Amino acid sequence: MSAAAERTGPDLVTRLVWGTASFVAHTASIVALLVAWEIFARSGKVTMFMLPPFSAVAERIWSDAVEGKLWTDLGLTLYRTFVGFFLACIIGVGLGTAMARTKIARWFFDPIVSIGFPMPKVVFLPVVILWLGVFDVSKITMVTVEAVFPVITATVLGIQGVGHELIWSARNMGAKDRELLWQVLLPAALPQIMTGVQVALPVALIVAIFTEMAMGGFGIGGVMMQASRFADSRGVFAGIVEIAIVGYCLVQLLAMIRRRLLRWHQEAHAPSTI
Amino acid sequence: MTSNAQIVVEQVGHRYRPPTGREVVALDDVSLSVQSREFLALLGPSGCGKSTLLYMIGGFLPTVTGRILVDGKPVAGPGPDRGVVFQHFALFPWKTVKANVLYGLERTQLARDEREKRAQSFIDMVGLTGFEDSYPSQLSGGMKQRAAIARTLAFDPDILLMDEPFGALDAQTRSLMQAELLNIWRRTPKTVIFVTHDVQEAVFLAERVAVMSARPGRIKALIDTRFDKTDPHVFKSKAFVDKVDEIWGLVRDEAIKAQAGRGQ
Amino acid sequence: MRAALIRYSPLLILALAWQLISHFELVSSSALPPLTDIGGAWLDLLKSGELMKNAAPSLYRGAAGLALAIGFGTVLGIAMAWWKPVNVVFGPLVEAFYPMPKSALIPVTVIWLGFGNGSKILLIFLGCMLPVIIGAYNGARSTEQVLVWSARSMGAGRLRMMWDVVVPSALPELLNGIRTALALAFILMVTSELIVAREGLGNLIGFLGANGSYAAMYAVVLTVAFMGFAADRVYQIAAQRVLAWREATLS
Repeated sequence: MSAAAERTGPDLVTRLVWGTASFVAHTASIVALLVAWEIFARSGKVTMFMLPPFSAVAERIWSDAVEGKLWTDLGLTLYRTFVGFFLACIIGVGLGTAMARTKIARWFFDPIVSIGFPMPKVVFLPVVILWLGVFDVSKITMVTVEAVFPVITATVLGIQGVGHELIWSARNMGAKDRELLWQVLLPAALPQIMTGVQVALPVALIVAIFTEMAMGGFGIGGVMMQASRFADSRGVFAGIVEIAIVGYCLVQLLAMIRRRLLRWHQEAHAPSTI
Repeated sequence: MTSNAQIVVEQVGHRYRPPTGREVVALDDVSLSVQSREFLALLGPSGCGKSTLLYMIGGFLPTVTGRILVDGKPVAGPGPDRGVVFQHFALFPWKTVKANVLYGLERTQLARDEREKRAQSFIDMVGLTGFEDSYPSQLSGGMKQRAAIARTLAFDPDILLMDEPFGALDAQTRSLMQAELLNIWRRTPKTVIFVTHDVQEAVFLAERVAVMSARPGRIKALIDTRFDKTDPHVFKSKAFVDKVDEIWGLVRDEAIKAQAGRGQ
Repeated sequence: MRAALIRYSPLLILALAWQLISHFELVSSSALPPLTDIGGAWLDLLKSGELMKNAAPSLYRGAAGLALAIGFGTVLGIAMAWWKPVNVVFGPLVEAFYPMPKSALIPVTVIWLGFGNGSKILLIFLGCMLPVIIGAYNGARSTEQVLVWSARSMGAGRLRMMWDVVVPSALPELLNGIRTALALAFILMVTSELIVAREGLGNLIGFLGANGSYAAMYAVVLTVAFMGFAADRVYQIAAQRVLAWREATLS
């Protein structure tokens, strides 16, 4: 069999065509949504206060950007999001690995994880504030606490799911326990872990914004809450649009990182589905 | 003569308890000795414990009763002196072919460029030149198994333990791989223990065939299968066909017993 | 029973540690009141009626929002799966709002409906509708063609078929979506009340905290956390029952 026939996967042209088609389809529906918003807002069926037109909201975002306000608030929110997110990833992978490999860790943390998961952990914010004060530390702690759960579960599943042939093969070639963990288990579990990480980032963003809304101050959440108290509906909607854009960008960023890291995985070579 | 044998299996037994159900006796009083550089096939119906025996020699499973000696010393765990080739290749999917082969060489004392050269030579030997930088997901089944063999051969184990390595391949690839394996073995002679349930494969590849009984596994018979295997029509030669018949007769009863056991 | 005890014993150990740490004042007793104090405060809240007075509106908001979300969401999701034009209109909306943090809608609902019940119910309704729609949509789409055809050939009208075939087939995915919505309802209930409310459990927590009644605050926090956990467990048991019934009727 020739080398070309041995390789699998669609060729570049096919990928480009599908990529452009789905991009166009997605943007078209967003554009349609914005147009519908504009028309409905100006139609007089609701007041400009209840639903400011998209153009007015966009104008507000623009002026905030030019003034610089947008960037400081955005930067603050993202700072809290990312610090909490990275802590959650490190703690999550560490704890998940321990739980997957040692009986004691699993016994001790399993009830905590299984009870913690369906609990509205945000309710503990007042307790966290009590312990850690009213500044960033509390916000970041809350973000970490929420975002760590999906990472833990994903890591446990990923590591437990590593086929024993891979482990035996590595031992056959002389790998010791520590080498086994870093050289075999974690790379093999990476697809699952990455999925958990991809869930954790949007969660981190949500919690960061929520803590800002609850505790006030700067950051997109705090500014939105302020706007709502001052009946500044354009400010509120501006915040929503900003969050939507940021959320979308973060999801895309992680998807791109996933494609890069998991180049070797089967999914990279499967024909893309719509 | 057991005292000169490289691998000695003495009255070995193995049992385990599955999560639900009663204890299973996988092996019962198995004794076997393998000479250095001998090609031995372990043949038997599904579930007879042949893979279990192989993995015990490999050091992955503990011996419950009896003992296994390799080069006079009891088996204490897995190690690079006994290289394993698995049915489903066990290649690291996140490493390229070359990186996979190099992994086994990392713990040898060779210098960096020597390792690279050695890896490349084995990749060439199994016919994968040009695919060093491919990932396993980009390779066909036959190519993956060739990569796995290259990886195991590269760290030069004295003993090769192969667990139905061609079982996951289609028939045509399988016969090509069988011929290639014999070639490789002739060039770099090693002790090989080859697990299979395919009688023809066992007779073609091995010098001796150990027929195992259905569970609990025991060695039922040891048959000499030395022929002139360079003859391209060996599969049709009378000697070959007779041998296959003889062994199939022994295996058939065990296969039926294994089926019956399953039905209960 | 014994297995459950072993499984949850780490929690007992933690509770014991908590009691000891706070008893010996290893941490300031206001930051970490002893469990016994918290228990006492909880009973006080119960007896004085404060707990019930606030639990009622919270649960009412949550239940109302969730019920509306399940009702509308299921119908919309199945409609989207079944009729192309509906999908064309609502599809992009769902996709646009899916990655959006639902808590971000809190200020909007306040602008629209003020500080009372309405805004909370609206928030929970909008937020929880999404996972239900997606669950119903995926579930309906996975209905096996064979079942649809056999129902049609037996002369079932469209609506009848929907009830007999599509809804049962869609159940697993739909139930999963509702489970997500349930957790989300608790979260949105708590978050909205912590930020803007005149009464309700979230509001009570804030009030007790500002007042310095930390033991009581802990009591309510733990109550809400436990309610969220319990609701999920109870829901899972109920969902299992429904699925078992479905297995029986479909086969």
